[in-house]
Amino acid sequence: MASEVEVTIVTVRDIFQDEAGRKSRFSDEYKNLSALIILDKQDLIRLDVKDGQRLLVKNEVGSVVVAARTSEDEAHPGLAFMYNSPWSNQIVSDAVCESSIPGNKRIKATLSAAEEDITQISEIQARMQT
Amino acid sequence: MAICTGCSLLCEDIVAALKDGSFSHVKNLCRKGHGHFQAAFTERTVPMIDKEQVDQDRAIAKAAEILRNAKSPLLYGWSNSTLEAQAAGIKLAEKLGATIDDTSSFCQGILMERILSGKIPTCTLDDVRNFADISIFWGSDPSSSHPRHLSRFSYYPRGEKRQKSYEEERTCIVVDVRKSATARLCSNYYFRVAPGGDGEFMEAILAVLEGKIPKVGDKKKMIELSSVLKKTEWGVIFPGLGMIYSLQDKMELFERLLAKLNEITTFKVIPMVGHYNMRGFNELMREKTGFINRVSFKGGAPVHGPEYSVTATARTCDAALVIGSDPLSALPFGTARALARLPLIAIDPRRSLTTDAAKVVIPSALSGLEAGGTAARMDGVKIKFEPIIDTKLLSDEQIITRIMEAI
Repeated sequence: MASEVEVTIVTVRDIFQDEAGRKSRFSDEYKNLSALIILDKQDLIRLDVKDGQRLLVKNEVGSVVVAARTSEDEAHPGLAFMYNSPWSNQIVSDAVCESSIPGNKRIKATLSAAEEDITQISEIQARMQT
Repeated sequence: MAICTGCSLLCEDIVAALKDGSFSHVKNLCRKGHGHFQAAFTERTVPMIDKEQVDQDRAIAKAAEILRNAKSPLLYGWSNSTLEAQAAGIKLAEKLGATIDDTSSFCQGILMERILSGKIPTCTLDDVRNFADISIFWGSDPSSSHPRHLSRFSYYPRGEKRQKSYEEERTCIVVDVRKSATARLCSNYYFRVAPGGDGEFMEAILAVLEGKIPKVGDKKKMIELSSVLKKTEWGVIFPGLGMIYSLQDKMELFERLLAKLNEITTFKVIPMVGHYNMRGFNELMREKTGFINRVSFKGGAPVHGPEYSVTATARTCDAALVIGSDPLSALPFGTARALARLPLIAIDPRRSLTTDAAKVVIPSALSGLEAGGTAARMDGVKIKFEPIIDTKLLSDEQIITRIMEAI
């Protein structure tokens, strides 16, 4: 068991989350389908958290609290997935390569169990104004 | 029949019946399209200045005032607007001496530039339906991003030369960092790559095609892949952001792979463009300026470069007009925050993080549902559409034209 686990996060798409976002960016449905991180079973065990528990995802860009979800994919310890959303963008650097492509597909971050609630969209909006 | 502008497939066979201000019956919409159509009735924007509701004329006048007074304005978005609105937007950029950019700047632009300049061979989706026996989804997951791609074009339909379709004549191959919904469908030919490992995987394919031992991947599977590729009669690769973001500045590897594949057989490429008219903007910009995106008209003549991308310009411009896009949701936090601090004009049919942060909000008609126009499908085929819902709202084109007149 570790209090912190280092992962590489790749942002991906999901049709259910996409549909929810088209209906409303401010709904609970969109938040529940966006504010999550999909982890390998072994990483959940290392963190001693269960599916649905809250995790703080943190790196040099920022931080966000999301729910843990167990991956149904083949084993991929150390590799996590988040859906493209304002939640995943809290930790995406806008330092770009020569082609001006941001780093959405290889985000280094640290995970730890969180006491706080899942980050609300209103909090993300407030952060943009500071 | 209606056209769905929910993604760049621009499905033309949508049946939608309206009753009492909502859809009583729809046919042929995918889940994504259904969300897109339903969105016509929720969270619509109203004209606003500084969070106060105003009439449309005042909002347009204020937008014109902001842009007129700005020294370095940015005009951004465009991928969810018609070709007619995009053409008006390019004229507005010229008139203002502004920077203009679209979502391709951090999306498929790097590949689209090669497609439009003829460096990479391409075809239409109708060619895919009629002739393709191999479709490679590389870093793309149409089951999530373009849900009717497989059924209308690439896997299930019976085409001119593919009457036996997926049962006997079509094979899908998926290269991805995860076993996506599409990868689960074609699990016999799913190849997992590590994040950033797409270039190595391309080198491995090049090696096996030349009879060498690949450095990455399961050797037996790679040899099987090589055999499938060599037997292909008419292949097509559909690159998604997974591949583009992984290769970054190494696109010449992809060009090498295509050259090799085309020595053996026929292989084309269609980028898996997300927004319904991103390609249209790129084609129009190329035609009018010689560049597909990231253009500044500050000195009069169009100048192109990474310094004119939205990610760079968000920090250097002094006002921004965002149309049909929600960069505050979609872009990295630093860029989103830089945009949120600007005098921001948002033209959008629906509430978003961008409209919430905007100084001026101008509501617009939803393209395809409330406003007609023309768009370029992901393969470049032009699709014309008529509105199916009556509205008094102005189209994007009308709004841009009125702003230009007011300036």
